[in-house]
Amino acid sequence: MKVKDIVESLSLNVLTDIDDKDVTGVYISDMLSDVMNKAQAGNLWVTIQTHKNIVAAANLIDISAVIVSQGYEVPDETIELANRYKVVILSTDDSTFTLGGRLHQIGIK
Amino acid sequence: MHTNQCDHQWEMVNAQPGFIITEICHKCNLVTTHFSKEENPPLEEYRDGEHFWNVMASAQSVSFDLQCKLCKSLISFEELSSLMLCTGCKTDCKVFKLLKRSSDHSVWVYVAFGFKPYKDKMQLSKEKLKILEDYFNMKRRSTKSSIKIVSFEMIDDLDSCSGGFIMDEFLLSLEAPKQK
Repeated sequence: MKVKDIVESLSLNVLTDIDDKDVTGVYISDMLSDVMNKAQAGNLWVTIQTHKNIVAAANLIDISAVIVSQGYEVPDETIELANRYKVVILSTDDSTFTLGGRLHQIGIK
Repeated sequence: MHTNQCDHQWEMVNAQPGFIITEICHKCNLVTTHFSKEENPPLEEYRDGEHFWNVMASAQSVSFDLQCKLCKSLISFEELSSLMLCTGCKTDCKVFKLLKRSSDHSVWVYVAFGFKPYKDKMQLSKEKLKILEDYFNMKRRSTKSSIKIVSFEMIDDLDSCSGGFIMDEFLLSLEAPKQK
């Protein structure tokens, strides 16, 4: 499944340009150091963090897309940096827990 | 250190969460950083020889080693404080110039920082920087881009550098007790 498929299936908000990468799984964490340690390339990264440093972590691991959950607003600075570094940022009003469940339902494990 | 004949496949091992503690001596203003694995690192002022250390800041981080899955060589990265994505804050910076050389933006440059004071503490060797770079590039599925990791020593003016650091500030930061 690709990023655009997931955007459509879950009606996610698209905040940046889309690079339609293959999705390999999901990693849920609000700690950048934890993502650097354990997330895998191609994972969707679900977080409530919105500062520009999420771009640094996402890019390093080659995350397929960052999904900011719980309706948190992503600053323009983060979006601008994400576009520059081709990191896809999506958002949803769903809680992290609900989003995890919905991703699982559509087959992302 | 490790065999040169092996086509290494690195994996992260011995990952240990902890805190990067920044301290300042209120007598001479020397700043020092170190990694603490303690669940509750000491935060009170303490004396160490001529220095009187106070905690300025802390950030959650992780220390780790890299091990080759094939030959089992183990490389410690205890000298590594944090990685920072170059965001091009200064156009005359050598790191930014390295980033710009990749005109199609297919190489992303990260800067590896050591612990302070930089001149007194062991810093990452070029060999270790290359191993770290190989590790992160091996993990990347995308063939469109790759990672280049350089030493912070490439930056002329560290004080004005404002890249994206991969560390967790304020999430669970430790605070020194307030002075009465």
